[in-house]
Amino acid sequence: MTLRWRAAVSVPLTLAALATTPVAAQRSPLAVGAHAVLGWSTLDPAPGGARANAVAAEQVFAMAMLRAANGLFRVVAMVNLEGATMPDGVLAPGAFGEGYMDRRHPHTYLHELVATGMLPGQWVRASLTVGKGFAAFGSDDPMNRPALRFPVNHHWAQILERLTAVLGVRAGPLVVEGSLFNGDEPDAPDAWPNAARFGDSWALRLTLQPARGLEMQGSRARVASPEHREGSGPTSWKWSTSARYVHRWSGGPELYGLAEWARTTEADGFFVFPSALVEAQLRTGPHRPYVRLEWTDRPEEERTLDPYRSVRPHLDDALLGITRWRIQTVGYGYSVRVAGTTLEPLIEVARASVGVVGGGIFAPADFYGSTTLWSATAALRVRLGTPHRMGRYGVLDESGDATAHSGH
Amino acid sequence: MRLSRPKAARVLVALVCGGLGAACDETPTAVVESSLEGVSGAGQSAVVGAMLAEPLVVRVRDASGAPVAGQTVAWRAAPGGIAPASSQTDADGLARATATLGPAAGTQTFVARLGKDSVTFAVTARPDAPTALAIRGGTGQVGRIGQPLAAPYVVEARDRFGNPVPGAEIAWQAASGEGTILPAGATGPGVTAFFLLADGTGRSAVVHTPERVGPNSVRAVVGTNQATVRFTATGTNTPMLVATVPIAPNYGIHDTFVRDGIAFVSAWNTGLILYDVGNGVAGGRPAQPVEIGRIVTGSAGLGGARVHNAWWFHNPVTAERRYVFVGQEGPGIIGSSSSGDIHVVDVSNLAQPVEVAVYHLNGAGTHNFWMDEAAQILYAAYYNGGVVALDVSGTLSGDLASRELARTTPGGATTYVWGVQLRGGSLYATDMLHGLYRLTLTGGAFAVSGGDNVPERYSSDLWVHGTYAYTGTWGTRAAPGNAVKIWQLPATGAPTLVDSLIVPTIGTVSDVEVSADGRLLLFSAENGSGAGIHLYDLATNPVRPQLVAAIPVGTGVHTATLADIGGRRYVFAARNPSDPALLIYDVTGLP
Repeated sequence: MTLRWRAAVSVPLTLAALATTPVAAQRSPLAVGAHAVLGWSTLDPAPGGARANAVAAEQVFAMAMLRAANGLFRVVAMVNLEGATMPDGVLAPGAFGEGYMDRRHPHTYLHELVATGMLPGQWVRASLTVGKGFAAFGSDDPMNRPALRFPVNHHWAQILERLTAVLGVRAGPLVVEGSLFNGDEPDAPDAWPNAARFGDSWALRLTLQPARGLEMQGSRARVASPEHREGSGPTSWKWSTSARYVHRWSGGPELYGLAEWARTTEADGFFVFPSALVEAQLRTGPHRPYVRLEWTDRPEEERTLDPYRSVRPHLDDALLGITRWRIQTVGYGYSVRVAGTTLEPLIEVARASVGVVGGGIFAPADFYGSTTLWSATAALRVRLGTPHRMGRYGVLDESGDATAHSGH
Repeated sequence: MRLSRPKAARVLVALVCGGLGAACDETPTAVVESSLEGVSGAGQSAVVGAMLAEPLVVRVRDASGAPVAGQTVAWRAAPGGIAPASSQTDADGLARATATLGPAAGTQTFVARLGKDSVTFAVTARPDAPTALAIRGGTGQVGRIGQPLAAPYVVEARDRFGNPVPGAEIAWQAASGEGTILPAGATGPGVTAFFLLADGTGRSAVVHTPERVGPNSVRAVVGTNQATVRFTATGTNTPMLVATVPIAPNYGIHDTFVRDGIAFVSAWNTGLILYDVGNGVAGGRPAQPVEIGRIVTGSAGLGGARVHNAWWFHNPVTAERRYVFVGQEGPGIIGSSSSGDIHVVDVSNLAQPVEVAVYHLNGAGTHNFWMDEAAQILYAAYYNGGVVALDVSGTLSGDLASRELARTTPGGATTYVWGVQLRGGSLYATDMLHGLYRLTLTGGAFAVSGGDNVPERYSSDLWVHGTYAYTGTWGTRAAPGNAVKIWQLPATGAPTLVDSLIVPTIGTVSDVEVSADGRLLLFSAENGSGAGIHLYDLATNPVRPQLVAAIPVGTGVHTATLADIGGRRYVFAARNPSDPALLIYDVTGLP
């Protein structure tokens, strides 16, 4: 484990150090950054009823953003090393997806690599983005938001790591994006999108930026067989809407807030998974307190003998049940800069209550020994440069707040 | 044969030999112009090493054709012998010698020479009687007991000189209790001993079918000296993979139904695929399945055919084999909801199956089937819909809603029935939440007994044989690991749990079956380190199964079924994605 931490931290740092331009130059031709969080987490109770503790290096990534031809051509790349640093995932109450349960899965090594071409205009501008990355759907990736632990609704409110083509059109404060992509989600850190399925899924997003710092979006997506790579799984239909607000007092603190609602239905409405979430953060000087409230339904899938893993590939479309997670999360980070590097010790505590929606055989009280789960994390965040807001390409990336709001 | 030589040459030879006073073999007694011709002895035949019955005879004539007496003819043999080494022509110009054959079978030659003239005699040397055998292949094989070995045993009969002996009479005999033999290329039941004549190369070949686990021997004997060689094969009862049939990874295979040498493979959205695995209709066999036809049944609004299971109905009333009932497994929440219909497929033409009817139950989906074929009733497990009995007599078409005979939810509001099986007039049903039930259909209603008897685990599949039932368990409930539950079935009333076979390394026991003879218990394991196929001996004690073989399959096996084809027993197993395939194992001889 020690070696893994070392690798996890040193690789992004080295990448950043090799860059020829200073970091944090958002509009420089080339901007690079790197990020890692080394933390200890506990989940009590964990699956099986006992308390679980783990140390993991998470959100370990390096990124580069290139702008050329006065910004008319852009490339964004992000390498994520979680597959090496946390192959078993990281403890997270209610987390699910890609074969992990109660642990947030590692992302793919090539998290994002997209190229964007811009079509300039006076009132109406357009862009086309292609590559591996985010579909035009939903709210910001959790890695761009205050809390360290991912929300349960990650798979309801974002669509990422796909082979995607996003066409965006901006008219003043209004941005319309449409994207085509492959429906299959990754099933391993080294998985590559099933190119043969490109275009079997689509997403539309309407974003309104009526005032500085305020952004609202509504999204609709059809995702074909996301959990079965070859395409035999049920289709998901997704809604997402959110409002995001950032206010900076001149020379003073910064307030961030997000409210979102998402809903995914599968198998022609046989399964319905709604989610609601609000979160806020106040950044003042080195201090960064934050809070998140979430209310999300998740599927309970058959697990393997490893209680943190579910059967993949799917053998059928049966669930053990649907659980509803109500999670309150509070956290605090304190940032210091050391030799051009931002270090942020942080703590985060969450209380999750889990209940059953409808029938099924999954009984949280039996499985966890309680319907209330506590989670705590103590971690150190290391950052070079300013991470970009993932999944915001072309015309959506040219105004408003382009800064991520985690400890970034 | 007549050879002329220049006179000068003969004179020169005579002068040289005479002048030197040497003893020239070819020195004629008088210098005459003569020729040498064969008279008799060529073309004889004898066994190697034997003296030819007739002498070799040549004649010397002069230029006018008159016999010349007193000429010395030299004889030469290789590798045999000849005597005398030279002989004088008599008054008729004839000279004779007696030849003895060398050791090599085949054509041998002897030469008579007079001066530069020569005559060659070709004779045939036959092999001598066989006195030895040499193994020319086949020994040391490993094969399944009860199954002919892959390669024949081959011997070569040889005489005292090592010549192959065509036509040698070779006695073959399998050791007592160690199998049977058949001449290579022959068909039919094997025997333990017979005589076989060697072919034109002196060889004889038989195919051995080992009978017991361990060494199995066969001996071959030849000659009056009883020369013997022994072949040995190692018999094994380890299951042998005989075929792997890849299936499109549309969730892979869910179930396989084998009857009369035809395998109906339920391959989810790929549909129902029919293979000849020994029926003969398409020349298939277990080791080489041949696809006959396929059909993608209706999606019924569930986003795909989702073909889960099938039953080929052999109607004893009409003698028809016209219908296959296909189960569709739609999405569901275990213990609460399910979806999927029964699709009826007309297989009058196996190559072109056609869907003709459907049965839909609102709010529930079907799972495994069983049939009372004599009564023409299909019993279907229906998850939260319980158990449904359908009248499937006559012609089936359209909506079969009116064919429903009876329905029950043995576990009440939380029933979730996995499978059913009819035995001895009772229908047994496993409910994932409530365990094993016994149902009796009387007058359009089910009488129910049993249930709520596996509280620590979720029940899965079942198989009933004789007065015992075996049920699997699924996933994780209160107790760790999974199990096969063993039940005693009294003449009436609820099943009685008598034992549990705990298998802690298995995520789910997804399919259970007992062989037709009741000797073998099969179950498939979905995941965990024990994923694969497990085979237990029931012959010794049906309530104390003993493990006889475990076949690991890394990605797990969703279902497995036994089929007896051509006197052999096979397991047809559905290997899970991501590399789904129909695996066919020969398990003859187990236990």
